[in-house]
Amino acid sequence: MGIQNLLWQVTKKAFTGGIIGLTISDRCCSVVPVRGDSMSPTFNPQRNSYLDDYVLVEKFCLQDYKFARGDVVVFSSPTHYRDRYIKRIVGLPGEWISSSRDVIRVPEGHCWVEGDNKASSLDSRTFGPIPLGLIRGRVTNVVWPPQRVSKIG
Amino acid sequence: MGIQNLIWQVTKKAFTGGIIGITISDRFCGVVPVRGDSMSPTFNPQRDSYLDDYVLVDKFCLKDYKFARGDVVVFSSPTHYRERYIKRIVGMPGEWISSSEDVIRVPEGHCWVEGDNRAFSLDSRTFGPIPLGLIRGRVTRVVWPPQRLSKIGG
Repeated sequence: MGIQNLLWQVTKKAFTGGIIGLTISDRCCSVVPVRGDSMSPTFNPQRNSYLDDYVLVEKFCLQDYKFARGDVVVFSSPTHYRDRYIKRIVGLPGEWISSSRDVIRVPEGHCWVEGDNKASSLDSRTFGPIPLGLIRGRVTNVVWPPQRVSKIG
Repeated sequence: MGIQNLIWQVTKKAFTGGIIGITISDRFCGVVPVRGDSMSPTFNPQRDSYLDDYVLVDKFCLKDYKFARGDVVVFSSPTHYRERYIKRIVGMPGEWISSSEDVIRVPEGHCWVEGDNRAFSLDSRTFGPIPLGLIRGRVTRVVWPPQRLSKIGG
């Protein structure tokens, strides 16, 4: 009887903790690894994947969708909906972006994203401006490895 | 002491219940009202907003993004990111859609959505195909008013 009760209490606490963790991760902030070097040297300045940066992604920005030029955001890829990319916003709705041959205006409700490492980045220069509704969070800090802990933006 | 303890217990239970409710609504299913008549007669066949339909939106589909032609989905507007629309998927990636002047191919990772009430619907015929990443859930049932309870789709 005592053991059953104890197990039940522990299960309840674990379940509640799990649910609270999910809600925090969905609506407050979470930690994600950065893959690839499209944002080098801001993230992953070396090409060694042992040392991939882990960043803090805050989700409060999704309540009001208040983004600014220069923010580093996580978004779902417009062509590969299961993938998430991390790039920097370089154009807000209504602004003009000069690409290789011409000048493009960023449409209403969209933004233009580019990686800091322009030579090695798949971004709006390839798939065009992305709807703001695809954004999943904003990167605020690097949290790992300890020697690279820093605030972004 | 007894009253304080009781209030603390009630607060804990209410807080936990609230958190669980939020998680269920985000990840499993939620109930939302349908506004407007762009999906008439499937939803809101009368124009009276007292009788707006409430529908059950399933969020399990977001794990694998498995959608099919004919699904009614909730998605964030590509031009007005704070708004959500409810429309039907009529074209999946790679399919051809014939619009007023020409034939369009739905690009990879996108879908073509239209309202059932074509005359009064702001949809892909205006803003083009939408990335599947904008979809927020799939409508499975009408849950209110009680006389219109029904299953949507197969």
